[in-house]
Amino acid sequence: MAFDYQPLWLSIRLALVTTILLLVIGVPLSSFLAFRSFRFKPVVEAIISLPLVLPPSVLGFYLLVAFSPNNFLGRVLQNNFDLRLIFSFPGLVVGSMIYSLPFMLHPLQAGFQALPGGLREASYSLGKSKWQTLLRVLIPNIKPALLTGIVLTFAHTLGEFGVVLMIGGNVEGKTRVASIAIYDEVESLHFHAAHIYSIVLLFISFVILLIAYSLNKRLFKS
Amino acid sequence: MKFSFAVLNNSINTGILRPGLVIVLLFLSSFASVGQTLRIAVAANAQFVTQALKNAFEKRNPVKIELIVSSSGKLTAQIEHGAPYDVFLSADMKYPETIYRSGNSLDKPQVYGYGKLVLWTVKGISFGNGLEVLKDRSVKTIAVANPSTAPYGVAAISALKEAGIYDVIKNKIVYGESIAQVNQYLLSGVADVVFTAKSVVESPALKNKGKWIEISDSLYQPIQQGAVILKYAERNDLKDAQAFYNFLFSSEGKAVFRSFGYEVR
Repeated sequence: MAFDYQPLWLSIRLALVTTILLLVIGVPLSSFLAFRSFRFKPVVEAIISLPLVLPPSVLGFYLLVAFSPNNFLGRVLQNNFDLRLIFSFPGLVVGSMIYSLPFMLHPLQAGFQALPGGLREASYSLGKSKWQTLLRVLIPNIKPALLTGIVLTFAHTLGEFGVVLMIGGNVEGKTRVASIAIYDEVESLHFHAAHIYSIVLLFISFVILLIAYSLNKRLFKS
Repeated sequence: MKFSFAVLNNSINTGILRPGLVIVLLFLSSFASVGQTLRIAVAANAQFVTQALKNAFEKRNPVKIELIVSSSGKLTAQIEHGAPYDVFLSADMKYPETIYRSGNSLDKPQVYGYGKLVLWTVKGISFGNGLEVLKDRSVKTIAVANPSTAPYGVAAISALKEAGIYDVIKNKIVYGESIAQVNQYLLSGVADVVFTAKSVVESPALKNKGKWIEISDSLYQPIQQGAVILKYAERNDLKDAQAFYNFLFSSEGKAVFRSFGYEVR
């Protein structure tokens, strides 16, 4: 039986796209949360942390309902953009971004909060704008946090299963990621194929974490 | 019941009962009912008919039946690893035969019914031209049970190929892990049409939902569905397990299967 590597590539692609998008969203959002305090901040923080504690099936169920053309969001997307997020790779990306959001935001927010307050003020008083300060001063100083966020998000998305099972539809090359492929192979009693996918995922996850921990050690020393 | 609650309340109030003891009591109470409970593992497509059989059987026998609904493949994997189920109703013959060969069943599987494949929609789609409608632009998503694990998925793909339209519409197909997820895709509106079991659309709960057509027998192999008594029953409640198993093949049991759209020979 020829072994199909496509689900593994798909998992990696999903994790990569999700991580990049979450990084773009996560940096401004986490700096905002770190430096500002406002009345409903605990509410926002609680919402962001929800995916940590919610079963993926809850998220998957709500996404299924939201993406359905029977309901508002799904109908708007379909009628105006001819877009169906359900059973599609972009749909998985949206799901993964919600699912992995706290894994990107928490390390970044903690990183920003750990910076001495004088750093920002010095930058402002030297005439740098908010964005310049963020990009040139603050981000270079939270490299370990940045790395942690990237690694955790990537690894967490790689291991995503419940959400994909609910909204993916198991389409080859589009939504059949490695974790789903393992599930199918076990159910078909093809334990050999399941072993191969599993050992590859195990290896990738271990290597990613190993690199992160080694780099973090070096970054902290310097 | 009332009495024991009063005792509990009293003890809690007077501080005699420690939390640890409460936990122990909770554990003990969960063991009390074992023995009179029959666990029936059932494939998703047969869940509604089995529910009806369970109700009929429980009326006349002092036994409590618990249904475990999942896909045949998953149930088989669980049974092979010692799951505490007494009887298994599969969606095909392959899985119960695997169980028989590995010595986890008491006897060879028997066919309890032949499942029929139907095409089902709850949207304004007309089935006038049979399967041809799947080529239509209004049909964007067709849900099929995963053919690598679900017999109804195999039947659906075979019917599409036999009808000569598989290659035209294959990009519209999404796969549910079993008939149960396929049904859920249809009812939540994310799929336009689905291939499911006749026993689903004939079940009391879904009977008047949308419309369906039966797929011609000439387009797929009839879906032989088999049942076995599992080895676990020997340790649990063999008498009731056997009685329930025989009930499946009795004239009354057969009538129930027929009323849910199975062909019984």
